[in-house]
Amino acid sequence: MNEPNNTNYKKVSREIGAGNVLVIKHLTKKFGTFTAVDDISLEVKQGEIFGFLGPNGAGKTTTIKMIAGLLQPDNGRIFINNRSLASEPKKCKQDTGYIPDRPYLFEKLTGFEFLQFIASLYNLEPETFSRNTAHYLKLFDLEDWQHHLIESYSHGMRQKLIISSIFMLEPPLIVVDEPMVGLDPKSARIVKELFKSHAAGGTSIFLSTHSLEIAEELCDRIGIILNGGLRALGNLEDLQREARLEHSDLEEIFLELTGAYELQEIINALRSG
Amino acid sequence: MPCALDEILLLLTMKQSKRKTLLQPFLFSAKNRFFPKNRVPFRTLGVLVFSITVCLVLYAVSVKVVTYFHSQNELGIILSLKIFQMAWIVMFAMLVFSCMVSAVSTLFLSQDNEIMFAAPVAKSDIFFMRYVTTSLYTSWMMIVFSIPVFAAYGTVFEAGILYWPLMLGTIIATAATATTFGMGFTVVLVNLFPARRTKDIILYLSICFGIFIYIIFRLMRPEDLVNPDKYGHFIDYLSSLATPASPYIPAAWASNLLSYYLLDREIDFLITALLIVTPLALFFLGEWAMERWFLSGFTKSQESFGGFRSFFSRGKYRRSSLQWTFLKESKLFLRDSAEWSQLFMIGALVIVYLYNFKVLPVERSIFEEEYVTNLISFLNIGLTGFVVASLAARFVYPSIGAEGGSFYIIMSSPLSTARYILHKYLFYVIPFTVLALILLVVSNRLLNIEGPMWWISVITGLIITWTVLAMALGFGAIYADFKAENRAAALGGIGAILFLFTAIAFEMAIIFLGGSPVYKVMLGWLRSGQLPLGDMLTLIGWILASIAISLFLALFFIRTGIKKLEASSS
Repeated sequence: MNEPNNTNYKKVSREIGAGNVLVIKHLTKKFGTFTAVDDISLEVKQGEIFGFLGPNGAGKTTTIKMIAGLLQPDNGRIFINNRSLASEPKKCKQDTGYIPDRPYLFEKLTGFEFLQFIASLYNLEPETFSRNTAHYLKLFDLEDWQHHLIESYSHGMRQKLIISSIFMLEPPLIVVDEPMVGLDPKSARIVKELFKSHAAGGTSIFLSTHSLEIAEELCDRIGIILNGGLRALGNLEDLQREARLEHSDLEEIFLELTGAYELQEIINALRSG
Repeated sequence: MPCALDEILLLLTMKQSKRKTLLQPFLFSAKNRFFPKNRVPFRTLGVLVFSITVCLVLYAVSVKVVTYFHSQNELGIILSLKIFQMAWIVMFAMLVFSCMVSAVSTLFLSQDNEIMFAAPVAKSDIFFMRYVTTSLYTSWMMIVFSIPVFAAYGTVFEAGILYWPLMLGTIIATAATATTFGMGFTVVLVNLFPARRTKDIILYLSICFGIFIYIIFRLMRPEDLVNPDKYGHFIDYLSSLATPASPYIPAAWASNLLSYYLLDREIDFLITALLIVTPLALFFLGEWAMERWFLSGFTKSQESFGGFRSFFSRGKYRRSSLQWTFLKESKLFLRDSAEWSQLFMIGALVIVYLYNFKVLPVERSIFEEEYVTNLISFLNIGLTGFVVASLAARFVYPSIGAEGGSFYIIMSSPLSTARYILHKYLFYVIPFTVLALILLVVSNRLLNIEGPMWWISVITGLIITWTVLAMALGFGAIYADFKAENRAAALGGIGAILFLFTAIAFEMAIIFLGGSPVYKVMLGWLRSGQLPLGDMLTLIGWILASIAISLFLALFFIRTGIKKLEASSS
């Protein structure tokens, strides 16, 4: 990553603090009168895996789309690698790899052509491209399918292709929306290990998930979003303290913090009925 | 017995309610689209006002044209009715083919098919639902815009009040016949074709459509209509009118029914019965075909186009996003038979277009041949522009929306929206420039045009082409529909209509502004072979003004499109 030596950059650096790859400040997004994301602020450090949890419709995907530069926030700012996404979108996007929850791809391209296209969009070095594509296609068992049209791929294969395309770019920040959707157990295991090894190598990962097991296993810190606002933020111990549930697992904490008290009653009713 | 009757009635009621349920997504979507809750439907009102205006203009123009033919000597009525018959046949043919092309998508490739066919719903009910939605989708525009044309005949022939409901009923019955035939035939066709690629059917349909239009066009023999020498074939005309050329084509029934009424105020009840019974019979046949053949066709349609084979995609990776945009666009185009098959259509269009210049009877003009050919060459700039605008509406306008769900890849990448649009523009500008040059240069050659008019025609034609392309991309970005199932579907949208309207208005403005300066320059050139300085300066002024207008419009629409794309929520 390039670090421009100018006053603006230094000013932004001071504002967002050292070591943070992603900084979100007072982020707000409204759709009409509905507030989807309400004044969220958080940071993700270099090499950190940050889990973003929340019930359906809480605002996870909206937040992620704003980080990926797909949605304009109504208020607040996003900084990626000490740069403002609003004022330097191109450089911020260069540093961010976005993996969506739904694998929409160009159906009439082959998997290999798709990777070439993505690499050209991000201006990837040819040597890096050759090395990484061979590695990830092999890792995800896509080697035999790389010259087939994407329209013949299964959902899981598409998801693996998108994941490969982003890891291939080696971006400093990876933003993932529901990473394990459609993946078989082997691929899910590989993805988890990839997240861990890349984070150990300094890549920051911001992932939203419904799977509390994944969050518990992978994430250094977790943010729980509820009705657009950040309900809780911290590591597992912080969240346990916040929920006043010492020695509890993430599921209990999540249910407590998201106010799903009625769940036990529903479970009882289902069991008795 | 009453018990059995009750059961039948109950079954029918259940069937009806199921069909109503199946139509709900379509009806609710239409309601939400045209009458949004708690909002004044300005868009709907706009479309309504626009449609009414177009209808009124069409009506006025049609009345004028039909009056002109009608007022000619004894042949006038026959000629006008001949055109009437051809209009019906063209309308019918276009409806059949557009319905067939849409039916392949709606019946076999719709995204909601998995929900529909996994549900306990009879195939005949799904056929009903698909039939209603597809026929409304494909025929509404044709019905709305054919009403003023056929109504004009009623006015000119002073057919009286009864003509109107008769005409309306005939239009609806003919449209229903075309769409029921199209739907049923599609079900059979998709089943019969051994191809593993259902989409290839579209290719064959498009070729059929192109050839059909070509034949229809030639059958119209427009040069004969303006050639008094051919009036000798009076008997031929009479006989062709008295005994319709195609008694098996429902469009000819419609034309005959209304022609008899226009001439004698008589209704042929046999034809009326045929027009009512045929769509019903075809509909039930379609339902039967659906029950009988649908599943096997649907199974074939789920096989991927390329799933069974690999492609040559081992090209060397280069870092240029421009190069890769070109490669992506061309590969997506060439690997989609619904897209590349349109090249046949363009081929047919170019041939017909140029053929017309070849058979143009300029030598019979009362003016000097050179004057007439130069005038035609000048007007040909607008005609070429019209062809370019139509093709841009089909290929360039939907190209941004065609990225579909994958558009997030572009928007989340470091490639700026402006550069993305520029890459698209550069991709399309090459084939469109070649096409415009072929149309302009070859027609100029056929007209024996040389000298200043050749240059005027080529320069202005290219300015128009390049601007229209930018406008198509601009409008395409403003009205991008990322959820459209295919590129052709985008053509029915308000954005495509507005683009066509704006592009044609722009072309007409350029041609209109150039009329006087070009006339003066050409007059000097043809009379004395010289170019007077004053006139030349006016001509250069017109060209510079055209460039300025073009640049302004191109940049305005592209910029608005970029802003819209960047502001729109993904």
